[in-house]
Amino acid sequence: MGEMLTLFSDSFVAAALLSIAIALIGPLMLINRTGYLAASIAHGSYGGVGIAIYLGISVLAGATAFALALALLLAFLSQRGAKHLEVLIGVLWALGMSIGIIFIDLTPGYHSDLMAYLFGNILLVPKSDLVYMLIVDGLLLLFVWRYYHHLLAMAYDREFAMARGVRVGLLHTLLLVLMALTIVMSIRSIGLILVIALFSVPPFIAERLAKDFRQTIILSGILAFVVMVAGLVVAYTLDVSATAAIIIVASVLFFLSLIKGRS
Amino acid sequence: MPSPAIEVRNLSFAYDKELVLQNIDLTIYEGEYIAIIGPNGGGKSTFLKLLVGLLEPTEGQVLVYGRPASRMRHIFGYLPQNINFNLDIPLLAREVILQGRLQSFKFRYTQEDIQKVEEVAKRLGIEELLERKIGTLSGGQRQRVLLARALVSEPKILILDEPTASVDIKAQKEIYRLLQELGITKIVVSHDINIILEGVHKVLYINRTLIVHDNPTLHIHKENEGHFCEMELFEELAKRCDHG
Repeated sequence: MGEMLTLFSDSFVAAALLSIAIALIGPLMLINRTGYLAASIAHGSYGGVGIAIYLGISVLAGATAFALALALLLAFLSQRGAKHLEVLIGVLWALGMSIGIIFIDLTPGYHSDLMAYLFGNILLVPKSDLVYMLIVDGLLLLFVWRYYHHLLAMAYDREFAMARGVRVGLLHTLLLVLMALTIVMSIRSIGLILVIALFSVPPFIAERLAKDFRQTIILSGILAFVVMVAGLVVAYTLDVSATAAIIIVASVLFFLSLIKGRS
Repeated sequence: MPSPAIEVRNLSFAYDKELVLQNIDLTIYEGEYIAIIGPNGGGKSTFLKLLVGLLEPTEGQVLVYGRPASRMRHIFGYLPQNINFNLDIPLLAREVILQGRLQSFKFRYTQEDIQKVEEVAKRLGIEELLERKIGTLSGGQRQRVLLARALVSEPKILILDEPTASVDIKAQKEIYRLLQELGITKIVVSHDINIILEGVHKVLYINRTLIVHDNPTLHIHKENEGHFCEMELFEELAKRCDHG
């Protein structure tokens, strides 16, 4: 056990920082029904990864720029009530991934493990990512602390919130921008493909157990941390991929909560 | 003579290229109680959104106490149509009512806000609902909570879009009795025409255009039958529309 703690010390820090982000953005994603937009940003961000590798710049910087551009575009389209929005979201999702693959194909002599960005590896999170996570957590805390009541009003009844002067357009855009940053911060730990599952399952279960939204936030964070640590223990014990183990633990909890909800 | 609260001048509105409202002129005076009726899709809810300043007219203008409606949102108590609420959200009824006290640059609730919620809840008889999740309430209970949310800001003008949807007859009567007691300007879209007519000063019939029916109880109430149906009123107003 001591060996595992030493081996995974940075991973536990990453898990804790990710749990804070999940606690803050996950429930907001859930109540604002922006899961599909988040999935589009997550997958589309692969374009930024590919371009960054091709240009030889920081992958984190490339993914951040691309994810932010996607978030702003999706915020614009969704607020304008664009026709065929769901199709547009799906196209941006696939387009981003395709751009990423093509740029990586064009990169001469690049043989790195691309799966690391798609599926992540929480055991190999660099220190620079931990700093990035800390900054994003700080921004999320500031956002939720400042706009807590406005965000709830927007999620419950958008029209009424607008009538009360809540700047729904600004909040929706900020929400998507922060979702994009949170997704990017998870690239190397959870990966672009699996991140949405981890951002959805703990808040989903928490929402069913919590009395109010504050409790939902706190419970989401605790559940996310428990899921990640349990996943790490499973991975260490069975010598399997940590990310896959984390997602399997999350999925088991998800189905258990559904069964409990029915009984 | 009361002063005008809302002045609607040559108002037209179109979604994309589809004309929803056309050439509407109307003055609503302070303290008036207005009922709006009309067929589904006739533009009633759109008209209310224009009054509250949530939509900008395609042509013409809406003035509230002489200023554009979009700058006067804070004086309205508003209950939107009950179709787009997110009922899964873990919010207490108390928190929903408090949302009526929000403003653009107000981010925290004060002790006064909390006090106002208690007062309005008591007035509407919903104190026991305050600590319940909004998603667990019945349709009627939820409408009363939303009415409380509209009233808690102490509005000068109250705008309600079908406030008695999913509400039983007894609760409907209570809600309309309460509205009569309020001395503020009230504009209510409703299909419950029999109940709403008590105390209403004007009935507006909206189906793209507007027909104003003054003193509706005098003109419409059928003495022998005791009540009439909305269709009869539609037919009478439609006739006036054809002849007008």
